Amino acid sequence: MTDTKSFYIVLFDSTSEALLAEKLFKKAGISHKVIPVPRQISSDCGVCIRFSAPDMERVSAALDDRVAVRDISPLD
Amino acid sequence: MIHEIDARGLACPQPVIMTKKAIEAGEDCVVIVDNEAARDNVCRMAKSQGCEADVEERDGCFRIRVMQGAGRKRKESVVPAAGPTVVVFPCDRMGKGADELGNILVRGFLHTLGEISPRPDVMIFFNAGVKLTTDGSDVLEDLHALEKAGVRLLVCGTCLDFFGLKDKLQAGIISNMYDIAETMLSAGRIVRI
Repeated sequence: MTDTKSFYIVLFDSTSEALLAEKLFKKAGISHKVIPVPRQISSDCGVCIRFSAPDMERVSAALDDRVAVRDISPLD
Repeated sequence: MIHEIDARGLACPQPVIMTKKAIEAGEDCVVIVDNEAARDNVCRMAKSQGCEADVEERDGCFRIRVMQGAGRKRKESVVPAAGPTVVVFPCDRMGKGADELGNILVRGFLHTLGEISPRPDVMIFFNAGVKLTTDGSDVLEDLHALEKAGVRLLVCGTCLDFFGLKDKLQAGIISNMYDIAETMLSAGRIVRI
Protein backbone atom coordinates (compact mmCIF):
# COMPACT_ATOMS: atom_id res chain seq x y z
CA MET A 1 0.00 0.00 0.00
CA THR A 2 2.57 2.55 1.07
CA ASP A 3 5.31 0.04 0.29
CA THR A 4 8.19 1.29 -1.80
CA LYS A 5 9.40 -2.28 -2.40
CA SER A 6 9.39 -3.40 -5.96
CA PHE A 7 6.62 -5.79 -6.95
CA TYR A 8 5.63 -7.92 -9.86
CA ILE A 9 2.18 -9.15 -10.76
CA VAL A 10 1.11 -12.41 -12.35
CA LEU A 11 -1.78 -12.04 -14.79
CA PHE A 12 -4.16 -14.85 -15.71
CA ASP A 13 -6.82 -15.54 -18.30
CA SER A 14 -9.43 -16.37 -15.71
CA THR A 15 -10.31 -15.94 -12.06
CA SER A 16 -10.22 -19.69 -11.50
CA GLU A 17 -6.64 -19.79 -12.70
CA ALA A 18 -5.76 -17.01 -10.30
CA LEU A 19 -7.35 -19.00 -7.47
CA LEU A 20 -5.41 -22.10 -8.46
CA ALA A 21 -2.18 -20.10 -8.60
CA GLU A 22 -2.83 -18.68 -5.15
CA LYS A 23 -2.97 -22.21 -3.80
CA LEU A 24 0.44 -22.84 -5.36
CA PHE A 25 1.82 -19.65 -3.80
CA LYS A 26 0.54 -20.80 -0.41
CA LYS A 27 1.91 -24.30 -0.85
CA ALA A 28 5.33 -22.90 -1.74
CA GLY A 29 5.17 -20.47 1.17
CA ILE A 30 5.73 -17.43 -1.03
CA SER A 31 4.51 -14.15 0.35
CA HIS A 32 1.90 -12.66 -1.98
CA LYS A 33 -1.27 -10.66 -2.23
CA VAL A 34 -4.31 -11.16 -4.44
CA ILE A 35 -5.23 -7.76 -5.85
CA PRO A 36 -7.47 -6.41 -8.62
CA VAL A 37 -5.65 -6.00 -11.92
CA PRO A 38 -4.41 -2.39 -11.79
CA ARG A 39 -6.46 0.13 -13.72
CA GLN A 40 -3.59 1.10 -15.98
CA ILE A 41 -3.43 -2.48 -17.24
CA SER A 42 -7.07 -3.35 -17.66
CA SER A 43 -10.51 -1.96 -17.12
CA ASP A 44 -12.12 -5.21 -16.07
CA CYS A 45 -10.04 -8.32 -16.34
CA GLY A 46 -10.21 -9.42 -12.76
CA VAL A 47 -7.63 -10.34 -10.21
CA CYS A 48 -3.90 -10.90 -10.27
CA ILE A 49 -1.28 -11.95 -7.75
CA ARG A 50 1.34 -9.53 -6.53
CA PHE A 51 4.71 -10.68 -5.20
CA SER A 52 8.07 -9.16 -4.29
CA ALA A 53 10.69 -8.91 -7.01
CA PRO A 54 13.28 -11.10 -5.22
CA ASP A 55 10.82 -14.04 -5.25
CA MET A 56 10.71 -14.18 -9.06
CA GLU A 57 12.56 -17.48 -9.38
CA ARG A 58 10.53 -19.18 -6.68
CA VAL A 59 7.32 -17.98 -8.31
CA SER A 60 8.35 -19.29 -11.71
CA ALA A 61 9.25 -22.64 -10.18
CA ALA A 62 6.00 -22.87 -8.20
CA LEU A 63 3.73 -22.03 -11.14
CA ASP A 64 5.70 -23.77 -13.86
CA ASP A 65 3.40 -25.89 -16.05
CA ARG A 66 0.80 -26.08 -13.30
CA VAL A 67 -1.25 -23.05 -14.22
CA ALA A 68 -1.68 -20.98 -17.38
CA VAL A 69 -0.04 -17.63 -16.80
CA ARG A 70 -0.78 -14.84 -19.25
CA ASP A 71 2.01 -12.56 -18.19
CA ILE A 72 4.28 -11.54 -15.34
CA SER A 73 4.92 -7.85 -15.32
CA PRO A 74 6.46 -5.27 -13.05
CA LEU A 75 4.06 -3.16 -11.02
CA ASP A 76 4.87 0.53 -10.90
CA MET B 1 -2.91 9.06 -41.85
CA ILE B 2 -4.73 7.78 -38.81
CA HIS B 3 -2.94 5.25 -36.65
CA GLU B 4 -4.47 1.80 -37.12
CA ILE B 5 -4.18 -0.76 -34.33
CA ASP B 6 -4.91 -4.34 -35.32
CA ALA B 7 -5.87 -6.09 -32.09
CA ARG B 8 -7.62 -9.05 -33.68
CA GLY B 9 -6.89 -12.37 -32.00
CA LEU B 10 -5.42 -10.73 -28.91
CA ALA B 11 -6.65 -11.66 -25.46
CA CYS B 12 -8.05 -9.15 -23.01
CA PRO B 13 -6.54 -6.81 -21.78
CA GLN B 14 -4.16 -6.43 -24.71
CA PRO B 15 -6.48 -4.40 -27.00
CA VAL B 16 -7.25 -2.03 -24.12
CA ILE B 17 -3.57 -1.53 -23.31
CA MET B 18 -2.71 -0.82 -26.94
CA THR B 19 -5.52 1.69 -27.27
CA LYS B 20 -4.61 3.36 -24.03
CA LYS B 21 -1.02 3.82 -25.16
CA ALA B 22 -2.22 5.56 -28.32
CA ILE B 23 -4.54 7.82 -26.33
CA GLU B 24 -1.76 8.70 -23.93
CA ALA B 25 0.49 9.54 -26.87
CA GLY B 26 -2.20 12.01 -27.93
CA GLU B 27 -3.06 10.12 -31.13
CA ASP B 28 -6.42 9.46 -32.70
CA CYS B 29 -6.60 5.86 -33.82
CA VAL B 30 -8.69 3.08 -35.28
CA VAL B 31 -8.67 -0.12 -33.26
CA ILE B 32 -9.74 -3.35 -34.94
CA VAL B 33 -11.00 -6.12 -32.68
CA ASP B 34 -12.77 -9.38 -33.41
CA ASN B 35 -15.09 -9.80 -30.45
CA GLU B 36 -17.76 -7.92 -28.58
CA ALA B 37 -16.07 -8.02 -25.18
CA ALA B 38 -12.96 -6.35 -26.59
CA ARG B 39 -15.13 -3.82 -28.42
CA ASP B 40 -16.97 -2.91 -25.22
CA ASN B 41 -13.79 -2.75 -23.12
CA VAL B 42 -11.99 -0.53 -25.59
CA CYS B 43 -14.99 1.80 -25.93
CA ARG B 44 -15.47 2.03 -22.20
CA MET B 45 -11.80 2.78 -21.56
CA ALA B 46 -11.75 5.41 -24.35
CA LYS B 47 -14.79 7.14 -22.90
CA SER B 48 -13.31 7.03 -19.41
CA GLN B 49 -10.34 8.90 -20.88
CA GLY B 50 -12.64 11.58 -22.29
CA CYS B 51 -12.34 10.31 -25.88
CA GLU B 52 -15.07 9.60 -28.38
CA ALA B 53 -15.42 6.07 -29.71
CA ASP B 54 -17.42 5.22 -32.84
CA VAL B 55 -17.88 1.60 -33.76
CA GLU B 56 -18.35 0.25 -37.25
CA GLU B 57 -18.90 -3.44 -37.87
CA ARG B 58 -17.25 -4.86 -40.96
CA ASP B 59 -16.71 -8.49 -41.98
CA GLY B 60 -17.36 -9.79 -38.46
CA CYS B 61 -14.82 -7.40 -36.94
CA PHE B 62 -15.28 -4.12 -35.18
CA ARG B 63 -13.45 -0.96 -36.22
CA ILE B 64 -13.43 1.46 -33.34
CA ARG B 65 -12.49 5.01 -34.20
CA VAL B 66 -11.08 6.65 -31.09
CA MET B 67 -10.84 10.43 -31.16
CA GLN B 68 -9.38 12.72 -28.56
CA GLY B 69 -12.39 14.59 -27.25
CA ALA B 70 -12.70 17.99 -25.67
CA GLY B 71 -13.38 16.24 -22.39
CA ARG B 72 -9.95 14.62 -22.31
CA LYS B 73 -8.29 14.77 -18.89
CA ARG B 74 -11.29 16.44 -17.36
CA LYS B 75 -11.95 14.66 -14.12
CA GLU B 76 -15.34 14.71 -12.56
CA SER B 77 -15.16 15.94 -9.04
CA VAL B 78 -16.76 13.85 -6.35
CA VAL B 79 -19.11 15.81 -4.18
CA PRO B 80 -18.66 14.52 -0.66
CA ALA B 81 -21.84 13.90 1.25
CA ALA B 82 -22.28 15.81 4.49
CA GLY B 83 -21.25 13.57 7.37
CA PRO B 84 -18.86 10.67 7.49
CA THR B 85 -18.69 7.88 4.94
CA VAL B 86 -19.28 4.53 6.59
CA VAL B 87 -18.55 1.18 4.98
CA VAL B 88 -20.27 -1.80 6.56
CA PHE B 89 -19.14 -5.41 6.30
CA PRO B 90 -22.02 -7.74 7.27
CA CYS B 91 -20.12 -10.72 5.91
CA ASP B 92 -16.51 -11.80 5.35
CA ARG B 93 -17.19 -11.95 1.63
CA MET B 94 -18.38 -9.54 -1.00
CA GLY B 95 -21.73 -10.43 -2.47
CA LYS B 96 -23.62 -13.69 -2.51
CA GLY B 97 -23.31 -16.62 -4.86
CA ALA B 98 -19.87 -18.16 -4.80
CA ASP B 99 -18.00 -18.09 -1.50
CA GLU B 100 -14.54 -18.46 -3.00
CA LEU B 101 -15.23 -15.60 -5.39
CA GLY B 102 -16.69 -13.45 -2.61
CA ASN B 103 -13.49 -13.94 -0.65
CA ILE B 104 -11.35 -12.78 -3.58
CA LEU B 105 -13.63 -9.79 -4.10
CA VAL B 106 -13.54 -8.55 -0.53
CA ARG B 107 -9.74 -8.79 -0.56
CA GLY B 108 -9.66 -6.80 -3.78
CA PHE B 109 -12.07 -4.25 -2.35
CA LEU B 110 -10.02 -3.66 0.80
CA HIS B 111 -6.79 -3.41 -1.19
CA THR B 112 -8.45 -0.86 -3.46
CA LEU B 113 -9.77 1.23 -0.56
CA GLY B 114 -6.15 1.88 0.36
CA GLU B 115 -5.36 3.09 -3.15
CA ILE B 116 -8.25 5.41 -3.92
CA SER B 117 -9.77 8.53 -2.49
CA PRO B 118 -11.96 9.46 -0.80
CA ARG B 119 -11.27 7.01 1.99
CA PRO B 120 -14.07 5.91 4.25
CA ASP B 121 -14.16 7.52 7.68
CA VAL B 122 -15.43 4.47 9.51
CA MET B 123 -15.70 0.78 8.70
CA ILE B 124 -18.06 -1.41 10.69
CA PHE B 125 -17.76 -5.18 10.90
CA PHE B 126 -20.61 -7.30 12.16
CA ASN B 127 -21.95 -10.83 11.93
CA ALA B 128 -19.44 -12.93 9.91
CA GLY B 129 -17.81 -9.67 8.79
CA VAL B 130 -15.83 -9.72 12.06
CA LYS B 131 -13.80 -12.64 10.69
CA LEU B 132 -12.03 -10.14 8.44
CA THR B 133 -10.48 -8.55 11.53
CA THR B 134 -9.25 -11.63 13.38
CA ASP B 135 -6.34 -14.10 13.28
CA GLY B 136 -5.86 -15.77 9.93
CA SER B 137 -7.70 -13.10 7.95
CA ASP B 138 -6.23 -12.38 4.52
CA VAL B 139 -6.84 -8.66 4.79
CA LEU B 140 -5.10 -7.66 8.04
CA GLU B 141 -2.33 -5.86 6.17
CA ASP B 142 -4.89 -3.69 4.39
CA LEU B 143 -6.91 -3.06 7.54
CA HIS B 144 -3.78 -1.95 9.43
CA ALA B 145 -2.83 0.42 6.63
CA LEU B 146 -6.34 1.89 6.61
CA GLU B 147 -6.26 2.34 10.38
CA LYS B 148 -2.91 4.05 10.05
CA ALA B 149 -4.44 6.38 7.46
CA GLY B 150 -7.06 7.40 10.03
CA VAL B 151 -9.98 5.11 9.24
CA ARG B 152 -11.86 3.96 12.36
CA LEU B 153 -12.62 0.25 12.46
CA LEU B 154 -15.51 -0.77 14.70
CA VAL B 155 -15.86 -4.48 15.30
CA CYS B 156 -19.07 -5.88 16.80
CA GLY B 157 -18.23 -7.36 20.21
CA THR B 158 -21.35 -9.50 20.35
CA CYS B 159 -20.37 -11.04 17.04
CA LEU B 160 -16.74 -11.72 18.07
CA ASP B 161 -18.11 -13.39 21.17
CA PHE B 162 -20.60 -15.46 19.20
CA PHE B 163 -17.85 -16.82 16.94
CA GLY B 164 -15.45 -17.32 19.87
CA LEU B 165 -13.03 -14.79 18.37
CA LYS B 166 -12.89 -12.18 21.12
CA ASP B 167 -9.23 -12.88 21.92
CA LYS B 168 -8.29 -13.20 18.26
CA LEU B 169 -8.93 -9.60 17.24
CA GLN B 170 -6.07 -8.21 15.12
CA ALA B 171 -7.47 -4.98 13.70
CA GLY B 172 -9.92 -2.33 14.88
CA ILE B 173 -11.57 -1.89 18.24
CA ILE B 174 -14.30 -3.90 19.91
CA SER B 175 -17.49 -1.94 19.68
CA ASN B 176 -21.11 -2.21 20.75
CA MET B 177 -24.52 -1.70 19.20
CA TYR B 178 -24.81 1.87 20.60
CA ASP B 179 -21.68 3.00 18.77
CA ILE B 180 -22.56 1.03 15.68
CA ALA B 181 -26.14 2.30 15.49
CA GLU B 182 -25.12 5.90 16.21
CA THR B 183 -22.38 5.80 13.62
CA MET B 184 -24.71 4.40 10.98
CA LEU B 185 -27.49 6.86 11.73
CA SER B 186 -25.18 9.89 11.65
CA ALA B 187 -23.41 8.83 8.47
CA GLY B 188 -23.40 11.00 5.36
CA ARG B 189 -23.51 7.85 3.36
CA ILE B 190 -23.34 4.16 4.05
CA VAL B 191 -21.68 1.74 1.71
CA ARG B 192 -22.61 -1.88 2.24
CA ILE B 193 -20.53 -4.51 0.57
